[in-house]
Amino acid sequence: MKTLITIAMGMIFGSIIIASGAFSWSVINDMFHFRSFHMFGLLFSAIATAAISLIVIKKWKIRDITKQKIEIKPKPLELKNNAIGGLIFGIGWGITGACTAPIFIILGIKWYIGLSLLSGAIIGVVLYALLRQGFKLKLKLKHESRISKA
Amino acid sequence: MNNYLAWYIAGPLIGLMVPILLIIRSKQLGISSGLRWLGSLLTPGLSYFDYNRKKDFWQIEFTIGILLVSVLFGSLGLIPEFKGDKEILIAENAPVFLVGGILIGFGSRMANGCTAGHCIMGTSQFSTASIIATIFFFIGGWIASNFLTSIIF
Repeated sequence: MKTLITIAMGMIFGSIIIASGAFSWSVINDMFHFRSFHMFGLLFSAIATAAISLIVIKKWKIRDITKQKIEIKPKPLELKNNAIGGLIFGIGWGITGACTAPIFIILGIKWYIGLSLLSGAIIGVVLYALLRQGFKLKLKLKHESRISKA
Repeated sequence: MNNYLAWYIAGPLIGLMVPILLIIRSKQLGISSGLRWLGSLLTPGLSYFDYNRKKDFWQIEFTIGILLVSVLFGSLGLIPEFKGDKEILIAENAPVFLVGGILIGFGSRMANGCTAGHCIMGTSQFSTASIIATIFFFIGGWIASNFLTSIIF
C-alpha cells in the first residue's frame, strides 16, 4: 500500500514537472541565460510554498497520518562537498538540461537519451563512492605510516 | 512556447509536495538518494553503499511513478514540446548525455542532494548546506549553458 501511494506521488510530481516544462533542455537553457522568468518563478514559488508549509507544520505541531511527530532534519553542512559537488552537478544540469527527476521523464520520452543520462548518473555515483573509498584508504595509510614511524 | 503550465501554478504545486510527503509518507522530498540506491546494486562492496538502504528505497518507488507518468503522457501526446529540444535530444548526442549524467550523479552525491533535496526541500528549511549547494548548482549551470553548450552541441 505504501509503495502504491509513493508511486502515485511520484506520478503527481512527474506530471507537474512535465506540464511546467522543467524537464526541457530549452527551458533550462533559457533559465541559465536569464532569458525567461518561468523557471525562477517556479523555483521561488515552490520554495516559498514549502517554507510556509514547514512553518505551519512546526507551529501547529501537525503529525503525520500514523500520528507520529514530523521530524524535519536539515542536511548537514559540508561546505567543501556542498560547494564542489554542487558546482559539478550544476555543470551537468546546464549541459543536459536535466536534474535528477527529469532524467526519468526523458527516459520515458526519448529512451536512448534517458538511458544515457541514467547510466551516466549511476556511473557518477559509483565513481564518487570509489573516490571516497580511495580517499579513506589514503588517510588510513597515512595514519598507519605515522604509527609505524612512531 | 506558451503551451506549459504557468509558474505560479506549477511552483506552488511542487512546493506542496513537501508537506504532502511529510504527512503521508513521513519523508523529506529528495530524489538523488535513489541514485545512491541504484549504485549500491552495481558495486555493493564499497563503503559508501554500506548504509541503511531500506531508508531511501521510497525514492526508487517515487521515480518509478515519474517514469510511469512520463510514458503515459507520452503515449497520450500530452508532453509539451519546446523549440530547440528536438535538435539537442538526438541519438548522436547520447555520449554527451552520458558524460552529463556522470556529472549529475557524481555532483549530486558529493553535494548530498540535488534540485529536489537541496534547492526545494533544503532551502525551504533555510539550511546553510542547501543554500550553498543551490548557489553552486546555479553557478555550474550558468557556466555550462553560457560557455560549454555552444562548444559541445
